[in-house]
Amino acid sequence: MSDHTPPTDKLLWFLRERAKELNCLYRIEEWLNKSDATLEQVCMAIIEAIPAGWQHPECCQARIVLEDATYTTSGLRESPWGMSAPLKVFDQILGTLSVYYTQQMPIEDDGPFLKEERKLLTTIAERLASHIAFQKMRSVYNQYNTAEKELVEHARPEWRVVLDLLRRTDRNLFLTISSKMLNYLCWSGVEEAKVLTQYYDPEQSSDAASLLSDSNVPHRKRVALQGNDFISDETFKIASDNLTPAEILSFIQRWIQQDKLSFLIKTLANINTPLSELNEAIRRFHRMAPEGIDIPINTKRGLLVSLIRRIFSEDLQYINIAKNYTDVYDIFELLQNVIYLPGSHGKLGGKAAGIFLAGQILKKSVESDPLLAHIKTPKAWYISSDVVLHFMSYNNFDEVIEQKYKDVEQIRLEYPNVVQTFKNAVFPTEILKALSVVLDDFSDHPLIVRSSSLLEDRAAASFSGKYKSLFLANQGTKEERLEALLDAIAEVYASIFGPDPIEYRAERGLLDFHEEMGIIIQQVIGTKAGKYFLPTFAGVAFSHNELRWSPRIHRDDGLIRIVPGLGTRAVDRTSDDYPILISPGQPGLRVNVTVDEMVRYSPKMIDVINLETNTFETHHIDELLHEFGDEIPLIDQIVSIDKGDHIQRPLGHIDFNSERLVVTFEGLLTKTDFIAQVRSILKTLEEKLGTPVDLEFAHDGTDFYLLQCRPQSHSDDSAPASIPKDVSPERIIFTANRYVTNGRVPDITHLVYVDPQKYGAIKDRQQLLSVGRCISRLNQILPKRQFILMGPGRWGSRGDIKLGVSVTYSDINNIAMLIEIARQSGHYVPDLSFGTHFFQDLVEAKIRYLPLYPDDGANILNETFLQQSRNILLEVLPEFEQLVGVVRLIDVPQSASGQVVHVLMNSDLDQAIAILAAPRSVVQGQWEEPLLTGSSGEHYWRWRFNIAEQIAAMLNPVRFGVKGFYVFGSTKNATAGPGSDIDLLIHFAGTPEQRRELESWLDGWSLCLSEINYERTGMKSERMLDIHIVTDQDIANQDSYALKISAVTDAARPLPMGRIAK
Amino acid sequence: MKSDSFNPFAMAQQQFDKAAEFLNLDSGTRELLRWPLREYQFSIPVRMDDGKTKIFRGFRVQHNDARGPSKGGIRFHPQETVDTVRALSMWMTWKCSVVNIPLGGGKGGVICDPHNLSQHEQQQICRGWIRQLWRNVGPLADVPAPDVMTNAQHMLWMLDEYEAIVGEKSPGLITGKPVGMGGSLGRTEATGYGVMYTVREALKLMNVKPENTTAAFQGFGNVSQYALQLYQRMGGHAICVSCWDQKDQTSYTYRKMSGISFDELMSIVDRFGGIDKTKAKDLGYEILPGGAWIEQDVDILVPAAIENQVTAETVQKISKKVRIVAEGANGPTTPEADKVFEDRGVFMIPDFLANAGGVTCSYFEQVQSNMNYFWEKDEVLGKLDIKMTSAFSDVSDLAKKKKLYMRDAAYMIAVSRVAQACRDRGWV
Repeated sequence: MSDHTPPTDKLLWFLRERAKELNCLYRIEEWLNKSDATLEQVCMAIIEAIPAGWQHPECCQARIVLEDATYTTSGLRESPWGMSAPLKVFDQILGTLSVYYTQQMPIEDDGPFLKEERKLLTTIAERLASHIAFQKMRSVYNQYNTAEKELVEHARPEWRVVLDLLRRTDRNLFLTISSKMLNYLCWSGVEEAKVLTQYYDPEQSSDAASLLSDSNVPHRKRVALQGNDFISDETFKIASDNLTPAEILSFIQRWIQQDKLSFLIKTLANINTPLSELNEAIRRFHRMAPEGIDIPINTKRGLLVSLIRRIFSEDLQYINIAKNYTDVYDIFELLQNVIYLPGSHGKLGGKAAGIFLAGQILKKSVESDPLLAHIKTPKAWYISSDVVLHFMSYNNFDEVIEQKYKDVEQIRLEYPNVVQTFKNAVFPTEILKALSVVLDDFSDHPLIVRSSSLLEDRAAASFSGKYKSLFLANQGTKEERLEALLDAIAEVYASIFGPDPIEYRAERGLLDFHEEMGIIIQQVIGTKAGKYFLPTFAGVAFSHNELRWSPRIHRDDGLIRIVPGLGTRAVDRTSDDYPILISPGQPGLRVNVTVDEMVRYSPKMIDVINLETNTFETHHIDELLHEFGDEIPLIDQIVSIDKGDHIQRPLGHIDFNSERLVVTFEGLLTKTDFIAQVRSILKTLEEKLGTPVDLEFAHDGTDFYLLQCRPQSHSDDSAPASIPKDVSPERIIFTANRYVTNGRVPDITHLVYVDPQKYGAIKDRQQLLSVGRCISRLNQILPKRQFILMGPGRWGSRGDIKLGVSVTYSDINNIAMLIEIARQSGHYVPDLSFGTHFFQDLVEAKIRYLPLYPDDGANILNETFLQQSRNILLEVLPEFEQLVGVVRLIDVPQSASGQVVHVLMNSDLDQAIAILAAPRSVVQGQWEEPLLTGSSGEHYWRWRFNIAEQIAAMLNPVRFGVKGFYVFGSTKNATAGPGSDIDLLIHFAGTPEQRRELESWLDGWSLCLSEINYERTGMKSERMLDIHIVTDQDIANQDSYALKISAVTDAARPLPMGRIAK
Repeated sequence: MKSDSFNPFAMAQQQFDKAAEFLNLDSGTRELLRWPLREYQFSIPVRMDDGKTKIFRGFRVQHNDARGPSKGGIRFHPQETVDTVRALSMWMTWKCSVVNIPLGGGKGGVICDPHNLSQHEQQQICRGWIRQLWRNVGPLADVPAPDVMTNAQHMLWMLDEYEAIVGEKSPGLITGKPVGMGGSLGRTEATGYGVMYTVREALKLMNVKPENTTAAFQGFGNVSQYALQLYQRMGGHAICVSCWDQKDQTSYTYRKMSGISFDELMSIVDRFGGIDKTKAKDLGYEILPGGAWIEQDVDILVPAAIENQVTAETVQKISKKVRIVAEGANGPTTPEADKVFEDRGVFMIPDFLANAGGVTCSYFEQVQSNMNYFWEKDEVLGKLDIKMTSAFSDVSDLAKKKKLYMRDAAYMIAVSRVAQACRDRGWV
């Protein structure tokens, strides 16, 4: 623009120019938006529109060069006064848009052009370019659409393309698919297809009837005519007549998919497939068939069953249940946390199988029972069971494997060395690496290393507590943590060769079972409280309550044993502490109801992990709460305040420093749905597993964790005894049919019978009390756990003692069994105590309780035996002469020609029976299954008896001044156990010098024998011989042990002396 | 139960007959006091947790209220009989009378076993008991208290039901309530202190200074603990205490000839009076067999554990030095042993006098509740001292005057006071 133009004119001119430019743009835009305009039309329109937008339209011309085409205004002349803009489509310059003045014009911003004109040109070029891009894309799209339409309309259907491809590339698959299609058509009832099947075997009729007939001739297999495509072609011809192309295609796709899965099935079917390949196969499956894809149900089942069998258990019952609650993905997920060696063929073991299945069942049952929604299982890693074998061969421990066939004495002797050897062994590098990953995964969270043996899932063999479980604080540097983990695993491995498990296996004929042991490395549930780590509470739960403390509690009401802190104190019976017992079906009925009972029988100790010392510790709850009570979540639901005259549930803040606290779980039981939750878990698992269960659980204050699950029949205490049917009435002492628990009480040598009628008739209170004192004395004298106490009404009655004998627990703590007899009196049968006065003491000491209702028709109480057998009370405790009519002490072997009493109890039948039979060691196998606890008896007492005979034979009676040598107690009675001593009675009549010599001679024996016994049984005692020396004077006075020589009951047996001595 | 069996009520009647004979009571008075004045037996229907209804049998026996409102516990016992309750209610009459508090004797209960009942069901029984009996009990008529298998919680349920029915607060209805809910301070110490107040008075009679005496205690529960505390404050020199060891299931005697210490022992004792054996050893206590307490060469024996401890047999082991036996427990001495004490001239402070501190404190609780004004602990214990001291001197005066054995004297006083009240009221 020239400088001399006046400002107003300049403005007007400026506005006019802008208006021209805009008009030009509008016109072009109009054309660009015409959807039906061709590119040529658009280009021409642009060329025509451009001149009007420029300052000198009269001499302005435009040109578009686009790929091969050039569009110009008519008579275009290229001149030096022009400008261009590129046409850039998809980053490619496809041409240019140019503007020329045909003659020289005054110089403006850009040669003869205004700078606005330069901008306009660029804009038009861009708009055109994007128009071209759009057009190009639309044409591709249209082409595609047309092509597709053509394909559908004119070409072969897609399924045929696929099929043809298969025919050329994978003939086997092609034939498989053809025959599957034929089968499908037959099942769908297509007649032509049925006819076609005849081609496979013209002799075979397709008539189903013949298949179902019970002809003995095997059906001939239809032979596919290999290579003959005729049937295939015919089949698909029929298919295309009966099915839509889409259906056919979908069938073909599904069958191809199935075929791809066959690798997994083949891998699984081969028992030699190592775990690593198995994992890889599932991984491939996982990639190929992500969740949701349609896999036929039967294929899925097959896969699953093979997987379960391969990883968990070959037990059919287990598989049957597990397949309904798991899928391949669950197992795949689990396998990611399994440690194995290349080529490993191991399993995960019984404990892992149990918890996995329980977890799955609960997960799948959430829908029907929302209470199960937040049940968790702790994070865990598993070591496959054969790693232990590899570990041993890696360290050349081959000779250890034969350990189990050695004498148990030798095993015991060598066991400490085995443990040390294992602990000093080296782990294979692969395992080390894997465990390092495990530690990274767990970080420094405390861990428990548990055994998961293959024997554990075998019915009727409970290995609970036989193999080790070790807690790890898992603190310190990575090296230290790894070291500790390896140490723990080695120790658990070594426990396979411990004397107790081996003896246990030997007794059950499981010695030859190839024992491999899986390991579970489980996160310990809990939270930190100061330097300690602990769950808020933990415990065990049982479907069946075998310890009913009230007649209102039914067996199906279940039982929970619960403690604060780690569950170890609930799992085991502890002699000096008590867990809280709850029957989830009757949570309101407590074992302990008075303030005193609640405090006395509350847990006093707590197991925790000390994170500073890296150790498992037991502490007084009081002290722990005092220090860290505030840091334990949910603690206000666990403890109550002991107000002296009543127990109060805390409201709000607890003052851990000044309040006297007592563990009651009152808040948890009454104010949360914990009980409902446990009940629900027990019910669900019992129902789905088809057996009553035994659970371990822990709670960290936020969530409920299931730690272990196994059939309840595997627990030691709960095995039902079989009740013999054909016992002659004179051999029965009593029968019972109410509130019976499971178990057996064998080898009872003495019965203490307090006659209910006679007791009720005592008028004098002092005499009533003296019955209690008499029982207390008998408790001290009679052989421990070999006598039964039978009496009226309520044992331990405190108020009205005529209702039951007044005793405390210490007065009866040696008995094997407590029996309450409810004799009908007038029209009513008195309530029994169910042992409530010392119920928890009985439970922890494993003293059995049984109520008898002899007036209840079907029951027997053999009063002939109880009343007419000789009462030896007077001879044993002459000071209780006045009670002879009331208290009857019966020496069973004496009254029943050598027989003893065995009590057999079966809670499933609600039946119990006490019968007279030979001692257990003699009758074993006749009516008794292999024993569940303790030992097979015989060899313990026989060995002791032989020793006693030997000592007598070696003893020179002249040298030591001995007149008689007797054996008594458990060695004489054939009831000795592994920990029994040998009771000897020596009638001495020598000089003090001789006595000293005799004592030192016997002491030598004693020490030596206790060492031998330790090697045999693992039971430690200082002295094996319990020697009682009596003199003529003692015998004349009938002093204590002298009584034994000619005792009326349980008399000592004389042994011949000095046979070998000389 | 058959008629020929042991019957506690028949025994209580026999005992009374002896006293009546001695006091030469007329036949009307005898007949009146041989039997309870009133007996209530009733049914308590309870809707159980399982929806079923169960009927429980309830009792209340008011033996005699000539001297004031009946007082006595409520027991939950599965085989409770009316005869037991009658015997216990008669015993309460004498017990209140011997300490000269203006109360009569009662007892009650429900036939049930709390072990078979949920908390909710027990609460229903408590409320049901009151619904049946609210017209016949009350702060000025009959005042229940906790007993066998009932505790402060049961009392509060009963009180609440009673107040709901009568429409006003009535804390004096019941005793044994928690402190702060109408309970009295000093209850923990009351019985033990009571025992020692009587010992102190006995020593005064003998002109012996407490600081010149030694003592042995059996049991280390509430009674023994506070008796020991007061004895030490009086300057006495206790050398041993025996107690039950739950872990070992036996009892031990802990002895320190230089003197056992209340504070020291309280630091190692559990809630049940069980002393920690190991800690006791560390503190220099000798550990002797449980029965050793009775054999010690001391001036005073305090059997404060359980009944039947001093028998014909054990009494022979008692040192000739022993001058006072104070029965902290109920019935620790058998009649045979009593005979020996009487012959030897041992000063016997019989159980229902020696341990009357408990019932006296219950009376104080009732008094405070009725005023709705509660005393400080010192005031309670001070008033207790006055009551016990005067009760003791009444009994010992009579014993001296009539040359009676203390146990008999106490019984005479108790019965005669009640008989007198009946006569004064014109009942007989």
